[in-house]
Amino acid sequence: MLSDAERQRFAAIADVLIPEAEGMPSASQADVPTTWLDVALTHRPDLTAGLLQALTVAGDLPPAEAIDLLNTDHIPAFEALGTLLAGAYYMNPEIKRLIGYPGQVATPPKDDTDTYFDLLENVLERGQVYRDAPAEASS
Amino acid sequence: MPVTINQSLDLPDVADVLVVGAGASGSVAVKALAESGFSVVCLEQGDWTPPSAFAGDKPEWELVKQKQWHPNPNVRAGAADYPVDTSESDVNPLMYSGVGGSTILYAAHWTRFLPSDFRVRTMDGIADDWPFDYAELQPFYERMDREMGVSGLGDNPAYPEGEGYPLPPLPIGKIGRKAAEGMDKLGWHWWPGANSIPSREYRHRPSCLRYGTCLTGCPAGAKASTDITHWHAALEAGARLVTGARVREITVDDRGLASGALYIDRNGTERRQKAAVVIVAGNGIGTPRLLQLSTSNLFPDGLANSSGLVGKNLMMHPYGAVVGTYDEPLDSWLGPAGQSIESMQFYETDTSRGFVRGAKWNVMPSGGPLGMRVGYGGGPIDESWGVNFHRNVKATLGRSFEWGIIAEDLPDESNRVVLDPTLVDGDGIAAPKLIYKSSENTSKLIDFHVDRAREAHEAAGAVSTSETRLMRDCGWHLLGTARMGNDPATSVIDQWGRAHDVPNLFVIDGSAFVTSSGVNPTATIMALALRSVEHLIATRRDQLVSSSSAR
Repeated sequence: MLSDAERQRFAAIADVLIPEAEGMPSASQADVPTTWLDVALTHRPDLTAGLLQALTVAGDLPPAEAIDLLNTDHIPAFEALGTLLAGAYYMNPEIKRLIGYPGQVATPPKDDTDTYFDLLENVLERGQVYRDAPAEASS
Repeated sequence: MPVTINQSLDLPDVADVLVVGAGASGSVAVKALAESGFSVVCLEQGDWTPPSAFAGDKPEWELVKQKQWHPNPNVRAGAADYPVDTSESDVNPLMYSGVGGSTILYAAHWTRFLPSDFRVRTMDGIADDWPFDYAELQPFYERMDREMGVSGLGDNPAYPEGEGYPLPPLPIGKIGRKAAEGMDKLGWHWWPGANSIPSREYRHRPSCLRYGTCLTGCPAGAKASTDITHWHAALEAGARLVTGARVREITVDDRGLASGALYIDRNGTERRQKAAVVIVAGNGIGTPRLLQLSTSNLFPDGLANSSGLVGKNLMMHPYGAVVGTYDEPLDSWLGPAGQSIESMQFYETDTSRGFVRGAKWNVMPSGGPLGMRVGYGGGPIDESWGVNFHRNVKATLGRSFEWGIIAEDLPDESNRVVLDPTLVDGDGIAAPKLIYKSSENTSKLIDFHVDRAREAHEAAGAVSTSETRLMRDCGWHLLGTARMGNDPATSVIDQWGRAHDVPNLFVIDGSAFVTSSGVNPTATIMALALRSVEHLIATRRDQLVSSSSAR
């Protein structure tokens, strides 16, 4: 897992990419650097190397400069960081609640044919839309 | 992830029939043969994948679907996967290695060919006709509808009359209703989508639970993947399944008849399975790869390849899509995914459009918040991050859906599967390489259809649209690389799947396709497999077999 310094560097970058805005908390306010990043990494260990590379490239640069550098010259590493960051953010149940996303949950199907039969009658009235084909090939 | 279900393997020294591949077509063959009393051995390079392994009902779903459950084997890179060189291909092939094959990860759109699909040469003057017509395959389609448990609505004016589906349609949801409103304004055809997903309990399978994660496996165990629909019955009937078995060669005797196969087991040991008849069902890439690997003095250019067409005419259905965003909540994370509704309005040829053939359209949901993000790096930071990170999700999540466009891919010998000169799989066997370019006809077709799909969204009230004219990760449909036909000079197999050159060798997967149609092919692959294997069963007394396979 990340060292304290790497985690702080990640948090600084994360809060520029996901700031507090539009009624939504920042990445740090959503506990991404302290909790959810680690959860995300357990599911995507293949992104660990890219994340660490991104944090190494970022070094002590100001976060905005680090992001520009990564997005220009180190795209795979930036994509690893971005994938983990966004994925971790939306794994937080409170964030899901705020965006109105229940997650992919069991929803038994209910017949909704009565909501569209009126439109389907028009399709039937327009009639056949395929070409009849000969039973035998021409050659 | 995939697990191994141990089973007691009591393999016959010589099987009546050896089937290579436990996917859509192989499953049909094994079940039918075993239930008819044949001794059947199936060699499958992958493993079982129980529903509990899928991530669709877990919080990490959107993260792991980009890697562990990605349909591109080069991305997924699982133990059972083989790599594919795509450096000269416009499209990446998508597939799954395991019991059930790619039905594990398919979207379960259950769509038949149209009558004109069997008569492309006769009606449109291009490509070739199939050796039979729609009416010949219709009874097999209807039987496969019942075997798979298809949910749908009959009387679709896009198809000839026939038996209705065994189950009522799944909900089209708010996205389907919204899309239908647009089609209605334009006077265009639409119909509730048919899906091989049960809308209610069916043959001991539970009903769909609308997770909307069909493309990464069904955690409810509802979707009709053939591990569920066929394999349990096949094993009960006595079929033998060897998982973790990667076939590297179909062997032949001195008369040029297939005598069995050599395979590498999970421990890396090479083994031989002898058989009287061999059926290859490895998909449109795996099958030509295996035939090309099976060289011998009698077949120096690969097995069943006197026509030179093994591996050629690869068709992969280039896929375009238009996503519309609406200013109202549509719950567009709800399944099935699966197709909500479909349209055949522009399926048939209209030469005034500047191209031939057409495409089926399908409405699909758009998933969760990560699913709405396109890429992470390389673009302007402000477009995807910062305050727009939040704005984009709020504008699109639950309010967007896709009109997908399955473009008919015409056969072209320059589009092909070859053995890669350097790339190998985990067992050191030459990997396939794809050489594939989307054609000018396809480009014009997709341009036309994308423009119409945008109009469909606009008519439905979309506030914005975005489009993809050729999705790179779209090669679900691997077709045409061992085509059937009546002439051995221009085809690899006959209309029953029997190789012209090797009369006890059969190919029954999508490789057999003469043309690709513009629809999802699994219903046709399985109906075709059933037709072929039932003919094999009916003509068993006349079947030539290898002398070296005699017991």
